[in-house]
Amino acid sequence: MSPKQITIAALVLLLSGCVTGGDDPRQGGFFGGVSGLSSGRYEDRVKEREARLEQLRATQRGLDAEKGSLDANRSAALARVDADRNRVAAMQSEIAALEQNTRTLTARQGADQKRVQDLQQRVAELKAGMRNQASSLDALEGSGLGDSDMDLRRKQLEAQRNGLRREYELLMQMQMELAQ
Amino acid sequence: MKRRGAGLAGAMIILCAWAAWGAPLDEIRRILRDRALHPPGEPVLSALQETTLKRDLKDIDPYARYIPARDYRSPAWGSDVRVGIGAELMERDGNVLLSVYSGGAAYKAGIPDRSRLLAVDGQPVKSGDIQVVADLLRGKEGEPVRLRTLTPEGRKRTFQVSRVSFRAPAVETIEVKGGPVIRIRQFQSGLTRSALRATMEFLLQRRPPGPGTGPKPFVLDLRDATGGDLYEALDTASMFLAPATLLGTMVDRDGNRRKFVSPAGEKKTMPLVLIIGPDTASAAEIFAGALQQNNRAVLVGEQSYGKCSSQTDVHLSDGSVLRFTNSEVLLPDGSSCSGQGLAPDHEIPGTAFLSLPELVSRACAALGN
Repeated sequence: MSPKQITIAALVLLLSGCVTGGDDPRQGGFFGGVSGLSSGRYEDRVKEREARLEQLRATQRGLDAEKGSLDANRSAALARVDADRNRVAAMQSEIAALEQNTRTLTARQGADQKRVQDLQQRVAELKAGMRNQASSLDALEGSGLGDSDMDLRRKQLEAQRNGLRREYELLMQMQMELAQ
Repeated sequence: MKRRGAGLAGAMIILCAWAAWGAPLDEIRRILRDRALHPPGEPVLSALQETTLKRDLKDIDPYARYIPARDYRSPAWGSDVRVGIGAELMERDGNVLLSVYSGGAAYKAGIPDRSRLLAVDGQPVKSGDIQVVADLLRGKEGEPVRLRTLTPEGRKRTFQVSRVSFRAPAVETIEVKGGPVIRIRQFQSGLTRSALRATMEFLLQRRPPGPGTGPKPFVLDLRDATGGDLYEALDTASMFLAPATLLGTMVDRDGNRRKFVSPAGEKKTMPLVLIIGPDTASAAEIFAGALQQNNRAVLVGEQSYGKCSSQTDVHLSDGSVLRFTNSEVLLPDGSSCSGQGLAPDHEIPGTAFLSLPELVSRACAALGN
């Protein structure tokens, strides 16, 4: 192919580039733009780009909202863990008082030693159970678990805490019976 | 209640020195004479010595232990917080495998459960090295360890895992294709039943059954459940059984029988599949046996270990503890699993037994789900 033929071929390609410009702005470029300007498509492209920009902004707003919702969920989950921690602390105080009363009971009562020993052992186990609860809640906060896993773990701990609460009430009753 | 000799051994277990110096031998003799399920003869009791106490006790009762006060931890206190990779070691066919805790450091590093451990920090793992490996895996919080593994799919992969403090949960959930699986490793007093109930309710809320379809079975993985608290196991079984259903019978040395029946209360009615295997033992076998024999659960996997006896801890005058077998536990049909184990309804042996997705898939196929 001679240099002249190459020039013609290139020109044909350039011209065909002008006439094949569609409405897709991604196929624009200089030639497309010139073609659009002369044919009125430039405004269409501007509008389309604006529309696309608006779409991107809407997507961004959606993502921001989702992130905000996730952050809020996370904060709410952590707040629930915090509330649980307060409940555990309150129960630990109650158990400490029960333990104190149990010690007094031992000092006062010589009889029924077997039941007192049993009570003391169960109070010790209850204390250990509450310590586990407290440290499990601490671990939960920095665990890096997802919301769902964290929620499940919190529910497990809550169910276990309810069991410990029932044991505490039973031991309180035992302690009162022994004190009479 | 027990750990399998050469089987599951904790990567984070605390090694007991078994120093029995100063052990109150007379007290130990008296307790075994008066309360052991199979009381030893006087010559055996007289021969007990401080220096050989561990071996002497094992000869009398394979599950008996003397525990110095400083090493004792009541089973009722739940699991300890331990620093490690959040996995247990198990030996199978001469290989050391990792049983990964859901949510632990190994899990977060992406190590698949039941991966075979090939090397720890460049040191090759050899057959029978389980205790050596456990020592290598121990370290301070935050210290990394490099693990060369062979995944269950047969790919060699290296992971860097930072040791962290971790408390093993009473109940874990593991997501596999086909739905979540609930894993129980120990029946912890006051913890397992409530955690299992909360877990099931949580999963039911997340995945309500579709219209017109029957409830999907819950799959409980008991492959690593080596025992725990007998009463917790019975309580947990009673969650699924109608009031007054026989759960089991405890028989003491004098032949006195104490029957346990399911109490009234809210019951869970969804179908159950229990995965059992050679490490499923003791309280876990009694739980599985109660549900199997009452036609409340289908057992899949391999034959279980075979220990249906119960131990008790007696505090000695110096604060140390003697643990010994004090009763045999019979399953609802009056049989004991001791020495023979439970037979699964659907046996799934070999490599499929190590793969939870494969187990779930084959169990569901067997049940027509």
